[in-house]
Amino acid sequence: MQLRTFIAKDMNAALASVRAEMGPEAVIVGSERAKGGGVMVRAALEEPDAPVLEDEIGEPVNDVDADFRNAMIRRLRDKPAAKSGRRRFDRSELLASFARHRLPDAMGHALAEASAKTNVSDMTLALAAAIDARMKSTPIDFVSAKAFLLVGPNGVGKTAVAAKLAAHARLAGRAVTLIAGDVAGAGAVARLNAFAEHLDAAIATADSAFALASLTGDAVAQGTLAVIDTAGFDPRQPKIAAVYAALAKIESVEPVGVLSALTDAEEIAEMASGLARIGVTRLIITAVDLARRAGALAAAAMTPGVGLAHITRSPFVAGGLETLTPLALSRLLAESEQESAQ
Amino acid sequence: MTLKSLGPRLTAIGSGKGGTGKTFVAVALAQAFADLGERVLVCDADLGLANVAVQLGLANSGDLPGLLAGKILLADAVAHVGIGSHASFDLLSAPAGSGALADADAETAERLAALLKRACGYDRVLIDLGAGVGAATMTFAAHADDTLVLATPDPASLTDAYAFAKLMVKRTGGRAPAIVINLAAGAGEAKRTADALIRSAQTFLKVMPDYLGFVPNDLRVVEAVRRQTMLCVLHPQSPAVAAIEALAGALGGQIGNLKIAPSLR
Repeated sequence: MQLRTFIAKDMNAALASVRAEMGPEAVIVGSERAKGGGVMVRAALEEPDAPVLEDEIGEPVNDVDADFRNAMIRRLRDKPAAKSGRRRFDRSELLASFARHRLPDAMGHALAEASAKTNVSDMTLALAAAIDARMKSTPIDFVSAKAFLLVGPNGVGKTAVAAKLAAHARLAGRAVTLIAGDVAGAGAVARLNAFAEHLDAAIATADSAFALASLTGDAVAQGTLAVIDTAGFDPRQPKIAAVYAALAKIESVEPVGVLSALTDAEEIAEMASGLARIGVTRLIITAVDLARRAGALAAAAMTPGVGLAHITRSPFVAGGLETLTPLALSRLLAESEQESAQ
Repeated sequence: MTLKSLGPRLTAIGSGKGGTGKTFVAVALAQAFADLGERVLVCDADLGLANVAVQLGLANSGDLPGLLAGKILLADAVAHVGIGSHASFDLLSAPAGSGALADADAETAERLAALLKRACGYDRVLIDLGAGVGAATMTFAAHADDTLVLATPDPASLTDAYAFAKLMVKRTGGRAPAIVINLAAGAGEAKRTADALIRSAQTFLKVMPDYLGFVPNDLRVVEAVRRQTMLCVLHPQSPAVAAIEALAGALGGQIGNLKIAPSLR
């Protein structure tokens, strides 16, 4: 682009010199009163591109077909430009997005109401503020942690979470004892054993609550972090939940709930409340990478009385534990990708 | 649900011409976002001639070459910047004056951009681009969620900012950078400068860049840069500090409503 500045006694004279020196194609991009009187005009002129910069649409210029095609391509390309940028708050759009994510209805309406009340014009930020008021982020401090009892339904990934916790603790310089509380499950001890070997952690099995308590006590006394993997159960069943509530009362043990983002949103909310009743105060949500609808993740994260410690987005130990901020959750819920918006 | 939607917001600051104040604006914005409670990383993407650390007077600038070589993790490659009573942020840069990454190409830039997108420990990553419109610089510009082009009322800066916008529009298929005017005598001059750039982009590139704001010409900025300290420490009341805070707001920094940092405000 050529950019030139002209100073003349008035606008007409300035325009005349622009035309004379830069030709009829020049565009006036700015004008102002000049310091010493008269006007100052700034004009720009785009030279034809050097051949290197021509892109692949460089066919003959006065070909009708090519012109039509170029116009179409330009229109298609212009579309994302119009769409990009931040979205303004719109309650019905937000509710539609919640429905796509299968968020429980009551929670969706409450969130939309709270978002509207924030008076923030950007949709994602308004929702983030509403989520922030309902969600507590409680990441694990591996340096001071003593013993974790992992509880939750079957197949949500408790053993993998145990390995991840052990890996993080090892990275924080802690010694770790993995305790298998599920001695009956097929291959449960063997898997934990394999993890323990790779993580350079001690392993122990406990076949009774009493054994569990004494193993944990030993580990804590030595300053090692005890990570206890248990058999899966339904936290909504009061009888079986009572058994785990008793385990959770073992000295210096903190029960940590493990739930999967692939659960139905209503179900996960019930389970999280069930876990809260047996003394769980923080959750780890697994399989966040597999879930296309964030309703379950959101419902679990916003369960009253329970904080969200971490999420996992990979079944592999190296994938680690990540934290989820209200802003990130808001993006998931409000700025849904096209492919998941069905 | 993709990795992108969980990662930090990438904000790249470029200009085409050198000396328009990219590094100052990047660092000041980083401090503003950090004070608003965001977890911020500043990445000095002027790979050959890194100077963010010099601007801040830091001894440690982080180890970007080590990270790119795969020798260390991101958490170990960053340097922590905590100035006065302000909230701290992190810096990722090659050692100043080392020329360690002088031959970095677009492929290196792609790798670094992918790495930054996955830096989930941060809410925002500010990328201080190098001068010029080279392949590596434009790669960062295309990958960022927000790309700012910093121009001054100087005509040469305008044409270079236009070139930056043009290459970015070509590369992204129609996405234009947002305009920020630095070193303006006042709001009027800043608006006229931005308008000239917008008119040119509209006429020749068929895109409509946003005008995000301006930073006034302020001798106190020069003083802060010379003393290798933050403007918000040296002259917290100066108009340039207020202008930077307004910019942070325009870039979505209202999220500070959520967690006000225990800082000066």
